Amino acid sequence: MATEERRSGPDGVETVDADDVDAADILGSAIERREDPSLLTGDAEYTDDIQLPDSAHAAILRSQYAHARIEGIDTSEAEAMDDVVDVFTAEDIDVPGNLPTAWDLDTLRTVDHPVLAEDRIRYQGDALAVVVAEERYQAHDAVDRIDVDYDRLEAVTDPETALDDDAPVVHEEEGTNTAFDWEIGDADETDAAFAEADHAVGIDVTNQLLIPNAMEPRAAIADYDDSDDELTLHMTTQNPHVHRLLLSGVIDHPEHKLRVRAPDVGGGFGSKIHHYADEALVALAAKRAERPVKWQATRTETYLTDAQGRGHETHAELAVDDDGTIRGLRVDTAANMGAYLSTFAPAVPTYLYGTLLSGQYDIPAIHCEVSGVFTNVPPVDAYRGAGRPEASFVVERIVKEAADAIGMDPTELRRHNFPDPDEFPHATPVAMEYDSGDYDKTLDRALDLVDYDEFRERQERAREEGRYIGVGLSCYIEACGLAPSELVGELGAGAGLWESGLVRFTPSGTVKAAVGTSGHGQGHDTTYAQVVANELGVDYDDVDVDEGDTDALPQGMGTYGSRSAAVGGSALVQSARKVVDKARKIAAHQLEADPIDVEFEDGEFYVAGAPDRSMGVQDVALEAYLAHDIPDDIEPGLEATTFFDPDNFVFPFGTHVAVVEVDPDTGEIEFEDYVAVDDVGNQINPKIVEGQIHGGVAQGVGQALYEGAEYDENGQLVTGSMQDYTVPKAEHIPDMETDSTTTPSPVNPLGVKGVGEAGTIAAPQAVVNAVVDALEPFGVEDIDMPLTNERVWRAAHGNGGDS
Amino acid sequence: MEFDGTVSIEGVTMDEVWLALSDPVMIKQALPGCQFLVEVEEGDVDFDALAASAPDEDPPTLPEASPEDIAERAFVEGGRYAALMEISVGSVSPSFETVVTIEEREFPHMYAGGEGSASNSSFEMSSWMDLVETEDGVDVEWGAEADVFGRVAQMGQRVINPVANRVVGRFFDSVESQISDVSTDDSSGLRDRVSGLF
Repeated sequence: MATEERRSGPDGVETVDADDVDAADILGSAIERREDPSLLTGDAEYTDDIQLPDSAHAAILRSQYAHARIEGIDTSEAEAMDDVVDVFTAEDIDVPGNLPTAWDLDTLRTVDHPVLAEDRIRYQGDALAVVVAEERYQAHDAVDRIDVDYDRLEAVTDPETALDDDAPVVHEEEGTNTAFDWEIGDADETDAAFAEADHAVGIDVTNQLLIPNAMEPRAAIADYDDSDDELTLHMTTQNPHVHRLLLSGVIDHPEHKLRVRAPDVGGGFGSKIHHYADEALVALAAKRAERPVKWQATRTETYLTDAQGRGHETHAELAVDDDGTIRGLRVDTAANMGAYLSTFAPAVPTYLYGTLLSGQYDIPAIHCEVSGVFTNVPPVDAYRGAGRPEASFVVERIVKEAADAIGMDPTELRRHNFPDPDEFPHATPVAMEYDSGDYDKTLDRALDLVDYDEFRERQERAREEGRYIGVGLSCYIEACGLAPSELVGELGAGAGLWESGLVRFTPSGTVKAAVGTSGHGQGHDTTYAQVVANELGVDYDDVDVDEGDTDALPQGMGTYGSRSAAVGGSALVQSARKVVDKARKIAAHQLEADPIDVEFEDGEFYVAGAPDRSMGVQDVALEAYLAHDIPDDIEPGLEATTFFDPDNFVFPFGTHVAVVEVDPDTGEIEFEDYVAVDDVGNQINPKIVEGQIHGGVAQGVGQALYEGAEYDENGQLVTGSMQDYTVPKAEHIPDMETDSTTTPSPVNPLGVKGVGEAGTIAAPQAVVNAVVDALEPFGVEDIDMPLTNERVWRAAHGNGGDS
Repeated sequence: MEFDGTVSIEGVTMDEVWLALSDPVMIKQALPGCQFLVEVEEGDVDFDALAASAPDEDPPTLPEASPEDIAERAFVEGGRYAALMEISVGSVSPSFETVVTIEEREFPHMYAGGEGSASNSSFEMSSWMDLVETEDGVDVEWGAEADVFGRVAQMGQRVINPVANRVVGRFFDSVESQISDVSTDDSSGLRDRVSGLF
């Protein structure tokens, strides 16, 4: 497999103006993002910017308790208020109103998830009633006047406690909080590996619950036309078609009469994949009122309702020999599912987690058991990385512990267990087949950048001076480019994971590309245009990209799991190639040549051996629409659609290294260096790749040091706003040096691997390993995330970091 | 959330402090934002009716009031009391409809439990108080455990703790100054009359 290195300068990748790039070089150039002017000037249109005539505003009453029986809801005072248009509760709606889970597991207990709670509340954000009023603040005021008679119940928020016999039961009718039991790998082989190995190393790790914090809180505006039953929903979604399909069932509205449109969407990190009650309630409100109804979540509302991420309690054991050979891995995880099963929730701690536990290593035997557990917290679902950060955290933490236990350098232990580059595709004992990789290369590069050998000497000298510096490695692997349909179907997905892409010439020779993914900050307009311009040989500025509207696009599965470039981009490539094939026939006809003699290069068709007889593809487009003189067996028009469904996931990888100094007297952690060397396959736009790594690392550092959803013993969120939940600011993020190697993926025509989640997956364990390494003289082996000053101080002072 | 503390009041007797802290009128006046505090029967409490019938002016408290009148209206064990408490928390000023039951009341110990609800917020709390005689007065040792729910809880401890501390602080400041009034008003023979009640 060809592998090349790409260096970035000390200030990162330099952007270039698209006008200064030759058409032939457009793919792979770090051109400026074309969406930025509108985002930076405020021209962007977010859901709340949409003003439809005669709009009313909805506010949603949410439970004040995490767990309660509802004895009664009195809405009379709210209804009597001026300018209140409508108030409704569960008993007023006559649609199914049950939010589905789109992923099944053999042992899954599928529980009802009503859009409005009927007789029981299971988490603090559970919706009880909807008020529609002329103005937004009137709706909120009226919500405060609804009187709910609650019978409060004991709550449970932690998955391990929830499995105790005397724990409150979240879904009474199930009689247990176990949502599912799942396993992967071979238990017997793993037991045998442990029996034969020289050492067994065990760790207990917590991967804390996180709140997603997209910049734009969720919102929806529904517009209903009674005369033709057309319902349009503009909303914050990462996957309009998925929302349309699910919503159609939830509110019993025919799918072809339903349009879901994503205007500009301000980030998601997974939190806008899922089908929440809110969009269904807004749609129902608009149908009831027969006028547009808008709902915009407040930030505190998103803290109570956005599906959270992570939430694992894990015990892991690694069997390793004296020489560092890893023999086996055993993992037992309790995964917090929250109060209900969110859209893709069952997949996250199972097939997106257990299947990645081999990391970058050749581990002969792995066995993993996961219990999904209901608790009284918001539903837990995909959050940037979704299962893969949890897996990589377990693997990279235990590899570090194993290296310490057998007295081996952690880099050497890792390297000792890498598969060779010529052993790809590489099959693991947990069902994955890694597409391509060269793990030494990213490790070497990263160690070189931090000057690892010199660091160990420096660490010694610093310790003698009473300063504690540490280095932490994370050699991560992920599976992304979520697809292929047949495989995910076997694993329980209630949907295919192909992607559609349409490429359509206009008669004047410009190009519309439409993709079923739905960007929300990634820069798809730019990267897809680069891909299409490159394939068609047309000017980059002649390509426009559409996404995010079920009425304007063929079909789509959306943007998540770092799938847009690998699956959506590839669909565009295939469509562009179909367009070129058709254009070639028309061009051959016009040039009076046989199509097999017509070559295509840089947007020009020409007759082989006679380059003067040529015709530009944009001129061919006009001929295709004029249809005055095209072959008899060719239809007019020039466009093609592809549903691309690859054979495998893609497997980006890399090494991140954190270098920190820890002050044991204050618990403060300071970054000395952070190096990210990632291999995400071919890069469409290196500046966008770099930005994704930066943002991903920021979120990973956030988890390692700052973030965490905390609940009191009653299930009340005590980190209920940004005052108490620390979202990292610029000052919290280390200067980082990014670099990359390029090992193309063989599973898609672009050779891309996906980059949206890499940084988030890689960073937490690099930081934790570095802090633990720094505090090694204090006998510190582990500290739970987030590594607050207090926890670090306690760890350095010998009480294990329990706060 | 748990709170506790000790308030030392000089120049007073155990009896005086006990009587003062047994007076619903004085407690009402000492609690910041308390609109009324009245004894109620078992069952649902109609706060609107209580607000409408609450007197515009409170009857006198110590030292003006007669100790006998206070003893008459004093908290009783098992007694149930309703209060409307308006408390500013961050950007909101919810009015908590609060019901408190005096679970234990035996000199010098009192224990009460209660709950309050406002629009989309509520709390449940239990609190206790012991009086301890000191060389130059009385220590009021007190503690409270509170669970807060809903919108107010979501504001976080950074917001709630100062509010709780402010309420508690003002309450004891006010109690202290009122009881000090009692102790400085020896001339009326009040102290003898208070002692006579026990």
